Amino acid sequence: MNLSFFDQFTTPSLLGIPLILISTLFPTLLFPSSNNRWIPNRYLTLQLWLIHTTTKQLMIPLDKKGHKWALILTSLMALLLTINLLGLLPYTFTPTTQLSMNMALAFPLWLATLLTGLRNQPSTSLGHLLPEGTPTLLIPALILIETTSLLIRPLALGVRLTANLTAGHLLIQLISTASTALLPIMPPVSLLTTTILLLLTILEVAVAMIQAYVFVLLLSLYLQENI
Amino acid sequence: VLHATRQLHTTQQSLAPLPPLPEKGGEVRHGLIPEEFFQFLYPKTGVTGPYMLGTGLVLYLLSKEIYVVNHETVAAACILSVIIYAVKRFGADVAAFADKLNEEKIAQALAVKNEAINSLQTAIDEEKKEQWRVEGRTYLFDAKRNNVAMLLEANYRERLMMVYHEVKKRLDYQVAMQTLKRQKEQDHMIQWVEKNVVQSITPQQQKESIAKCILDLKALSKGAHAAV
Repeated sequence: MNLSFFDQFTTPSLLGIPLILISTLFPTLLFPSSNNRWIPNRYLTLQLWLIHTTTKQLMIPLDKKGHKWALILTSLMALLLTINLLGLLPYTFTPTTQLSMNMALAFPLWLATLLTGLRNQPSTSLGHLLPEGTPTLLIPALILIETTSLLIRPLALGVRLTANLTAGHLLIQLISTASTALLPIMPPVSLLTTTILLLLTILEVAVAMIQAYVFVLLLSLYLQENI
Repeated sequence: VLHATRQLHTTQQSLAPLPPLPEKGGEVRHGLIPEEFFQFLYPKTGVTGPYMLGTGLVLYLLSKEIYVVNHETVAAACILSVIIYAVKRFGADVAAFADKLNEEKIAQALAVKNEAINSLQTAIDEEKKEQWRVEGRTYLFDAKRNNVAMLLEANYRERLMMVYHEVKKRLDYQVAMQTLKRQKEQDHMIQWVEKNVVQSITPQQQKESIAKCILDLKALSKGAHAAV
């Protein structure tokens, strides 16, 4: 099949049946649930250790009320991490390259943190709009700026994830196209391009993991402010 | 929405113990294909059978353009080489880490058990020592009895000595009294005799004795002169 550069980002369908749901939820199949053994197999041991470590890391800055968010934040991180890493395989569709999915994740969660803050401690939440120690003259301008920055957070969250992954995938595709096109013309340059592609792939693996972590970390930070 | 997070099955339905996990995972060749596949093809095609099958399949897909070589092929080659390098380089370490986590868990439980056994063993040894100590109690009591007897004896001797000293003191007093009385009588007698003697010296006797002394002195002086 002849691929254009858009085919990687189109929603997958097989004979007209949309596969978007299973492609988004497929990563959940890769996380086995804990069986009742005391000493499980290596895979389960590593998974339990990983989830335990990340949850502890995320929940340490939060107080007791924030621990209610542990399940959703950890599962979100696991999902994003797996989706991003699986997207690096060839011919796979990465759901997190779609702005719709990322906004659907970022916006409600950010709004939840905001509303929690406004409901439980409204003055403290509003107080975050003015950093400490600002000169009196700058107060009106700073409040406007802080409000804008607050309202732009969901957009930033969603677009950050989308842009990083889309850009990475696009770059991989373009450089591999260049490599393929140069192969019959100038093989050494093609080899150089392939080396660049190798380095880029390693970068993309790192980016995939980092973006998932950053998404969840920022959400936990917004939660810290507001809980 | 919270109902969705409720777990349906929280335990396995039967309470029978789970069968133990196998020691090692299934054998795979090249990290992907199970060994049973090679064994399955071995009787009919020998050792090279599965490899010929694989090569033929790949060449068929390529030559018929069922798999088209495009830019994704290069990307696939890159990501697969990265994955294979990562697995080969870090695979053993990750497995050892997982094994270490499990080992620590087992070691903790074993440590609890061993500590319980050790503490009980120490308790048994202490109890034995106490029993041995109890056996030696008779010697202790004998020694104590001896001590008490010695104290009593020493006390008795002391009191005996005191009695002796007191009696001696009284007897010495009596003796001293007697000696004093005799001494006084003697002195008194001497005094009485002297007094009587001095009284009995009449003036006549006194003159005669003085004249005699003068005569003696003269005689002596004459004798002295003569000597000189």
